[in-house]
Amino acid sequence: MNPEPQQSLPITAEAEPQAGRTAVPVWLIVLLFLMLYWGMVYFDSHGGWFNEQVYAPYRNFQEVEAWQPVTGAPGLAQLGKLVYNKPTCVACHQADGKGTAGQFPSLVQSEWVQEPEPGRIIRAVLYGISGPFQFKGQSFNGAMVPWKDALTDEEIAAVLTYVRTNPEWGNKAPEVKPERVKQVREKTKGRNQPFSQEELLKVSPAD
Amino acid sequence: MNYGPLVFLAAFFALASSWCGFVLTPQLQIGRLQQTNTVGGAGIAYPIARPGLAHQGLDVYRANGCAYCHSQQVGQTGTVLDIALTDAGTNQATTVAALLKLAESATNQPSALTMLPSFQPGSSNAITESILGGLPKAFFRSTTREAANAAAKALNSTSAKVQLWVVPVGPDITRGWGGRRTVAEDYLFDTPVMPGSQRVGPDLANVGTRLPDANWHLLHLYAPRLEVKASTMPPYRFLFEKRKIGRRPSPGALSLSGNLAPGPGYEIVPRPEAKALTAYLISLHADAPLFDAPISVLAPAGAPASTNAPAVPGAASTNAPPTNAPAK
Amino acid sequence: MSETSSPSQPSSTGTPEVARFPIVPADIDASCRIPLVVLFLSASVWLVIGSAFALVASLKFHAPGFLADSAWLTYGRVRPAGFNCVLYGFCIPAGLGVALWLLARLGRTRLALPGLATVGALCWNFGVAAGVWGILAGGSTGFENLEMPPYSARLVFLGYLMIVVWAALTFHQRRERQLFVSQWYLLAALFWFPWIYSTANLLLLTVRVRGMAQAVIAWWYADNLLVVWLGLVGLAAVFYFVPKLTGRELHSRYLALMTFWMLVLFGSWGGIPESAPVPAWMPVSSAVARGLGVIGILAVALNVHATLAGQCSRLMAHPSLRFIGFGVVAFIIGGLMSAAGALSEVTRVTQFTWFTVARDLLNYYGFFAMVMFGAVYCIVPRVMGIEFPSAKLVRAHFWVAAAGILLLVVPLAAGGIVQGLRLQHASLPFNDITQGTLPFLRVSTIGDLLIALGHLMFLGNLAGLVSRFYRIRAVSAWAAATVEIKPAETRP
Repeated sequence: MNPEPQQSLPITAEAEPQAGRTAVPVWLIVLLFLMLYWGMVYFDSHGGWFNEQVYAPYRNFQEVEAWQPVTGAPGLAQLGKLVYNKPTCVACHQADGKGTAGQFPSLVQSEWVQEPEPGRIIRAVLYGISGPFQFKGQSFNGAMVPWKDALTDEEIAAVLTYVRTNPEWGNKAPEVKPERVKQVREKTKGRNQPFSQEELLKVSPAD
Repeated sequence: MNYGPLVFLAAFFALASSWCGFVLTPQLQIGRLQQTNTVGGAGIAYPIARPGLAHQGLDVYRANGCAYCHSQQVGQTGTVLDIALTDAGTNQATTVAALLKLAESATNQPSALTMLPSFQPGSSNAITESILGGLPKAFFRSTTREAANAAAKALNSTSAKVQLWVVPVGPDITRGWGGRRTVAEDYLFDTPVMPGSQRVGPDLANVGTRLPDANWHLLHLYAPRLEVKASTMPPYRFLFEKRKIGRRPSPGALSLSGNLAPGPGYEIVPRPEAKALTAYLISLHADAPLFDAPISVLAPAGAPASTNAPAVPGAASTNAPPTNAPAK
Repeated sequence: MSETSSPSQPSSTGTPEVARFPIVPADIDASCRIPLVVLFLSASVWLVIGSAFALVASLKFHAPGFLADSAWLTYGRVRPAGFNCVLYGFCIPAGLGVALWLLARLGRTRLALPGLATVGALCWNFGVAAGVWGILAGGSTGFENLEMPPYSARLVFLGYLMIVVWAALTFHQRRERQLFVSQWYLLAALFWFPWIYSTANLLLLTVRVRGMAQAVIAWWYADNLLVVWLGLVGLAAVFYFVPKLTGRELHSRYLALMTFWMLVLFGSWGGIPESAPVPAWMPVSSAVARGLGVIGILAVALNVHATLAGQCSRLMAHPSLRFIGFGVVAFIIGGLMSAAGALSEVTRVTQFTWFTVARDLLNYYGFFAMVMFGAVYCIVPRVMGIEFPSAKLVRAHFWVAAAGILLLVVPLAAGGIVQGLRLQHASLPFNDITQGTLPFLRVSTIGDLLIALGHLMFLGNLAGLVSRFYRIRAVSAWAAATVEIKPAETRP
């Protein structure tokens, strides 16, 4: 039916179109599944599995980590990783930083660890902690060993930097310099007691 | 059967899925980003919010639609490791010998290690000076960490100090448009974010690094063909004002000659919009080393480690355009 | 043939027997008349304005100083103004007009409350006018395809809501309960736009999200509007008019259903470009979605081809059908260009070049605008009851438009590929690459000119028809009035 444009259109005799019920050809469905498979493989190899720190051309988080610049002299964080695993901290806080529930607190994204100024955390490492403690909403009642005699200022600064800047744990606090540790050590000279939670809270992190 | 509600539900779930994927998740992942720290030693907060005039310039950029011709995204197709020496060491002869040995294995196995154009071995005796002059300098390039570590180990046995530089590569980077790819953190404080989708004009993500001269930008905005031959960029003369010279010429007046000069007794002075836009362009840098986009930052020999001077290693060995005011 | 009288037939007196009598298509058409006239006429005016702006922008490449002294006509303002005129001034209103008519006809019911749909159309037009004025004045938002400032966005949204509520009401009142393919597409489209538009405006302009999330949402919005919304409405028109005008049955509702699902599920994920400075999973998801779009394209091609029983020359027989046939071919080619973007080797070359612009132009000029022209040339004579003043102009419009689109899209696509290949070589000076695209742009400017000419033909024809309709009406009303007076005067 090819209505001539010059004639009037039959207004009353129009039928609306109908749709047939022919099935979708099988090859199209097969092609669909093949494409879905391709899509899944492509996403798996290039997508970084929704990790927000993976940008092309890196394909996964491990690749991004592998390409991080390492300066000639080992940086504080690298040295800190060695100190952490000496074994000093790893024995209680574990290699993944998560500690043990009820006994040793997790350092992963912990609010104590990630304070902008490291005053409190330096004191904790130097003199240890005792008494009941609230860490990330969980309570602990153990004891942390004082490290002021076992570790030098540089080693303490290194291990704190490692813990505070560890990308795998998602910690994003600024690093700690050895001079800062020295400064705190001077300020608290003569102390022999571990800190309790109230005492630690009384100290300002910037101190 | 009443398909109406079914159609509605189908459409609802389809749109909801893409809403979750491209509205909700980006807000959770990158919409809540805070300043982050640079990697590789200095640990400086990045990015810094643009200073006031540059922020106003962002507004001028938006109002005049600069993003329809200029992109602000640098791409990267891969990463390599450059083996560099920062110190020739006490026994230069052994250093040179080790370098030449590596050069030999590089020629035999080019897939693992390649020589950089800046390294011209020749014969070992006469040109120790030319090889080891101008340190720190990169000598070899490798695409895998294993090969790079092997090469570094060979050089470490001498007294020289070796560094492995992480260097992003790609056509944009070779062209001098940036040192590394741009990532979400680079745009953190911009409203609106205008990454652009066309390259009728060059990419501007790092234009503040390669063209830091405000006068260049002002002249270019007034008469693009002065700075770039046969440019297709339209002149933005409405961002400038032609006025009579007062008691003395204004300090900010453009120095024009020939038939672009405004005529005796008149001067061309940039309006605040032009100055703001220039300040914005000069503030465009996207080269800080970040975890998402690793790149080695070269601290100049002898400078304290905490300088904020991110020069890209190996830049001298590429065809990057000159970074200062161009010779006229 | 004289114009159809207004719907004063016995079926509208409201007696109970009415429900048992089917409503005559003439009734339906007449009920749509005023909103459709407003929508289509204003759309064609915006189309002409938009293509004029696009022409000005295109000319600036050949003479950068052309109109450069005016801030209002600088390239960075005139180009988005042109796109917004075409997209929000023509594409969406024309689509809404076609949607209203199709829903009324397919539901075999009169358009509900046409007066309010008309108010909605006027509100929409005010919004677009304010928006385009805002862009030229420097108030552009900075987001591509969403440049209209917030104050106009609210008017536009309000207008849309008015139209869509009455479309939904018309659908609800339908007498034909069996749904035709086009109705699913239109329902989805009517529902789609408010969600994407309100999300984009809220998150980008009102409660601004931070950093790159803005760009992701803007890309999501643009893709959903240009690919999904235009695709849904355009395909609804294609699946209605191709069977209707060829007198054949649409080949398969299941293929159409498959296309619907592909478009709705995967089309909405395709927006993020490969180069984007966002985590890798976003461009990769978009690439996968774009690749999967090829299934939807194949389904449409199969469906239309089989409906014509392989004889594609049938498409050339009817003047309206020519436009729609061209649109289908453009849809397929544009879709394939888009699906090629699933491969990173391809996007590496085509990103940031004129190729992406060519694909967008093919989508909304080549596919959507042409399908809308075909639909309007079909619908308006039925709604008004009289023919277009010049059938020759309709045929000439087709050839001018087809030539224009070919001359616009093909050089831009070719130039874009050349540009992209050369951008891969860092040793080539950038300025040379841009100079190298100029010959392609010169040809595309001729295409722009032809397209603008075609749009003028369209506006002229449409305006001529509408004015003829109202003139005839006025004349007959005057004749009726004077006939009544005379016998009273001459009575002794």
